[in-house]
Amino acid sequence: MAIEGAAARPALPTGAVRSARQDLLALLNRWGWVKVLLFLMPACLLLMVYLVIPIVMLIVMSFYRSTLFGVVPDFSWNNYLHFLRNPMFPNLLLRSIRLAVTVTAISLLVSYPFAYFLARGTRRFRTTLLILVMVPFWTSYLIRTMSWLPILGIKGLVNYSLMTLQLVESPVEAFLFNQFSVVLTLIHIYLPYMVVPIYLSLDRLDGRLLEAASDLGATPLRTFWHVTLPLSLPGVVGGIVMVFIAAFGAYVTPKLLGGSSGIMFGNVLADQYSGTFNWPFGAVLALIMIAVVLGLLVVASRFARLDAVFGARA
Amino acid sequence: MSDFDLEFRNVTKTFGDVRAVDDATFQVRRGEFLSLLGPSGCGKTTSLRMIAGFERPTSGEIFLDGRPVGATPPYRRNVNTVFQHYALFPHKTVLDNVAFGLRMKRRPPAQIAERVDRMLALVELPGVGRRFPHQLSGGQQQRVALARALINEPTVLLLDEPLGALDLKVRRRMQQELKRIHREVGVTFVYVTHDQEEALTMSDRIAVMNHGRIEQLDTPSGIYERPATRFVAGFIGLTNLLRGVVEARHDRDVVVRLASGARLRAETADGAVPGAEVDVAIRPEKIQMTAVRPAAADNCLEGHVTNFVYQGAATEYQVTLADSPEVRVIVQNIGETWRAAVVPVGTRVYLCWSRGAGLILSDAAEAPQRDPEDDEAAAERVAWR
Repeated sequence: MAIEGAAARPALPTGAVRSARQDLLALLNRWGWVKVLLFLMPACLLLMVYLVIPIVMLIVMSFYRSTLFGVVPDFSWNNYLHFLRNPMFPNLLLRSIRLAVTVTAISLLVSYPFAYFLARGTRRFRTTLLILVMVPFWTSYLIRTMSWLPILGIKGLVNYSLMTLQLVESPVEAFLFNQFSVVLTLIHIYLPYMVVPIYLSLDRLDGRLLEAASDLGATPLRTFWHVTLPLSLPGVVGGIVMVFIAAFGAYVTPKLLGGSSGIMFGNVLADQYSGTFNWPFGAVLALIMIAVVLGLLVVASRFARLDAVFGARA
Repeated sequence: MSDFDLEFRNVTKTFGDVRAVDDATFQVRRGEFLSLLGPSGCGKTTSLRMIAGFERPTSGEIFLDGRPVGATPPYRRNVNTVFQHYALFPHKTVLDNVAFGLRMKRRPPAQIAERVDRMLALVELPGVGRRFPHQLSGGQQQRVALARALINEPTVLLLDEPLGALDLKVRRRMQQELKRIHREVGVTFVYVTHDQEEALTMSDRIAVMNHGRIEQLDTPSGIYERPATRFVAGFIGLTNLLRGVVEARHDRDVVVRLASGARLRAETADGAVPGAEVDVAIRPEKIQMTAVRPAAADNCLEGHVTNFVYQGAATEYQVTLADSPEVRVIVQNIGETWRAAVVPVGTRVYLCWSRGAGLILSDAAEAPQRDPEDDEAAAERVAWR
């Protein structure tokens, strides 16, 4: 009967925490060296070709010298010094970080309540809403960016509405080609990266824990603060990392919708490769970008280490 | 203050057109250990969830400590639950789990620390405070769940099949532990279980539920010795039911004629009138099995052994009577060691019992049965005739 069946969900996972090392050793015991190597080979090859080798090349390249006649092998710190001596570059870096933080923060504030509603509020509209969240994924990045032009433009949807309603005399130009339009568009594009991990962590949350908190005297608000929020933290951290990295590296959207303020760290980086052909300096900028992202991952893993504490949660 | 910590008055709960709990009325005395016993889907867990406040009765009223609880949310009820799968907070240490209730009540930290220590000592788990739930065994998690609930000094402690997930050995020990803790803290326990043995050994009183109705509420021996309905008789222990017609009745003494023509004498408390079709219920261990017909016996039926299961301390026989119904008999192996311990298959035997050992179950006392076929757990246990 359904009434009691609802209370008979599987038990909480209680397995001990296992390190990756233990997992690998267990695998070796079961399969032996040859099979393990055979299975890991494709992944290792991919990592080598697409990650390790390019980064090594970047590091090597960053010490080279760019001349009128092309890139010359060298060992000089000039490219790094160039970055530090010219305040424009650190400023650009800070600007990109600020943009990424803004986009990430607003995405989080928008996504959490929405993901909460998806996971715990609704049953009827869950699938529909999830599909609506995912649809932008199937649309080209450029189209998603460009779609804001006819919305925010001088003759765009918003201005047309405001004019028709006679709320403004003349079209508002402040909507487009500034930080505002860039932030808005980036949020639109990267929102699914925030919603989905938070939704998954909230959906996985065992409803009986919420009942237990309530049973022990916690009001709904305190239940949220003491149980729901901490247990959804892995999803939140995951979302933050993904949106931050994506927004941090964004350069097409700022270029198209940012107007005079549209130059980001990513634009300058791309320019070194496609414009000025200063590949060694481009390598320096790329390495700095990687360093920032790695720094974020280190901070995030401090929170994600909580995950190990939670037990064998996937 | 009321003498009853908990009272149900005509409580009904429906989900769609399913009556999960059907017009339940009962009281639980202060400090009592009451078990709600029944097969899955009988409404025992729903009853518990209504006491905790997770569900609201469709009609009727629940009283806690003499006051109706109505729509009071769970977090304002002085009731705590030990959940079936413990529901310990995985991100909090044992200490923080146990302290949770008192922190919600904003008690001073020193007092919390002292009471957490006392609780962990009560459940015999000192020194695990800094561990996380997943680092404990199932039995230990169960104790933490118990401490976490009891620390709030609830009016009623609700236990939802708390031992269901434990293996038999740990389970037995936890049964003893629970009884000890119940004695020590003196809190009213309402214990949901589908395990009849657990209910019999632990409870002060048992409410046997079936299809949302309370079929009988009595002490363990009352439930076992004087089952009120066929369901109770079949669900708790083994029972032989012999169908017949009431031939005569003098006060409590009833004579029932079986289809074979044999007459049985038994006692009844309810209104079995002559001519009514009834069952004579007789427990297997109350039957005496003999090779020769005794000179004087209230009831005596002739049959032959068709099967037996040797169980060490006792042997359970299957005896087929002359007119074909089978009867189970449990014989204590109290004979001398050098004798053959069992009666072989095919042996002609006499089954005898005194009139006080049998019980009349009449149709009048029977609760209406709804879709009995979905109730496999009960069907398995219902005695064959």
